[in-house]
Amino acid sequence: MTHEVLIIGGGLLGCAAAWHLARAGLAPRLIEARGINAGASGQNAGSLHFQIERRFLEPGASGQGADIVRLNRLAIEEWAGLEEQLSRPLDIHMHGGLMLAESEADLALLASKVARENELGLPTQLLSGAEARDLVPRLAPHVCGAAWLAREGHANPRILADAFAHAARASGAVIETDSRLLDLHRDGHGWQATIEQAGQISTARARHVILATGHWTARIAARMGLNIPLYLAPLMMSVTDRTAPFLPYLIQHVGKRLSMKQTDDGNMVIGGGWASAPQRMADGMPDLDAPPHLVPDNLRANLAVAASVLPCLRGRSLIRSWTGMTCISADQLPVVGQVPAAPGLYIAAGGSMFTLGPLLARMLARSIIERAMPEEIALFSAARFAHLNAFVVPS
Amino acid sequence: MSRIADGVTRPAPITVEIDGAMVPAHPGETLAAVMIAAGAYRMRDDRSGAPRGLLCNMGTCSECFVWIAMDGAWRRRRACLTLVSEGLCIATQEGQP
Repeated sequence: MTHEVLIIGGGLLGCAAAWHLARAGLAPRLIEARGINAGASGQNAGSLHFQIERRFLEPGASGQGADIVRLNRLAIEEWAGLEEQLSRPLDIHMHGGLMLAESEADLALLASKVARENELGLPTQLLSGAEARDLVPRLAPHVCGAAWLAREGHANPRILADAFAHAARASGAVIETDSRLLDLHRDGHGWQATIEQAGQISTARARHVILATGHWTARIAARMGLNIPLYLAPLMMSVTDRTAPFLPYLIQHVGKRLSMKQTDDGNMVIGGGWASAPQRMADGMPDLDAPPHLVPDNLRANLAVAASVLPCLRGRSLIRSWTGMTCISADQLPVVGQVPAAPGLYIAAGGSMFTLGPLLARMLARSIIERAMPEEIALFSAARFAHLNAFVVPS
Repeated sequence: MSRIADGVTRPAPITVEIDGAMVPAHPGETLAAVMIAAGAYRMRDDRSGAPRGLLCNMGTCSECFVWIAMDGAWRRRRACLTLVSEGLCIATQEGQP
């Protein structure tokens, strides 16, 4: 049987793409090697960050980083409409976000960032330390400024992919878990996949294939002889015990790695891009299937940054820290769309995939439905890395 | 639940306070073991008010979080990872000694 679209990976991106494609009548089939939401989509800290991220402001970061603002503006509208579109509560909170400054250098960076964002149509505002403390009275007295964006926030990463999967099934998508891709290769004008489920091996043909496989994407592509510049980003996150609600906003830091928010239950979720350590295979390569190990020094440093700007955290206890793996592209911007050396093969990975996931899934579905890359995401096209596959022999 | 007595030697007993009750314990025991021995199975309540208690006994499930009086404040700790000490004072509800 030939499917119009075969989606590999049951995370946020794959499930959301399945829903959009199913609603367009394309009856996609999605296979997931483990369970729905088992990877980075369910492991991240749930930030909806639409300001230019700290990582784009670091020395040596690509100057193109600010371009992500174009995507972020669209992502704001995408998130704002999700609960209505999926007709269920999704724990999405968009009450605002603060990116903090603790020094004069931080403030200068914030000011230039806000100016750039405003040029690109993102209405961030520069606040004084006092104005920031008007919003969050418990901020430390030495916090000397913040960039405020009224529609930032956070969402619950545990439930969103599942909601998309549920909606996709209801619209006619077939979604299979514990169903692993063993092989994928070109077959005439389409693709042939070899799939293992419950010990049974079968093949499936598809006109279009979406690799919604997060940090596995580069390795799956490599097995097909394709070079996709995505690099492993093993991270760690933590959550404290519950406390009375006091923080409706997302907190980030312009000069240090930090993200912080309070859940409906009152727990504080703390992250911000601190590295965990991948487990290694016998040959020394990172094991993509095993959870990375916590790095105690990084955990301490992460918590120290959090408690520095929000001293009341010193009275809380950690309930749990966890790790997860995502990946980042060569220029830190997402890589989205058809791989030029492999017509009919689509990818979407490489940065901020929770915040941008729902939007990029819609765009990916549109590029298949409309047979053209939507203009809005041309900047993030996989074609910008086409030169890496200049010596690939089509198989 | 009771402690095995035959053929076991333990350090001299100490006393810990659980929800206001004075409970005997031995150094080297975890708080979870002492609570189970004392019949204090309800270690915390979930957000609906339903009772929760010891499940994994290895620090993973977080079902045995209790409040421990430390330095004048109540702090959340897992009973299964906490060793008892003389004068330890814990509560299964916040702020109730």
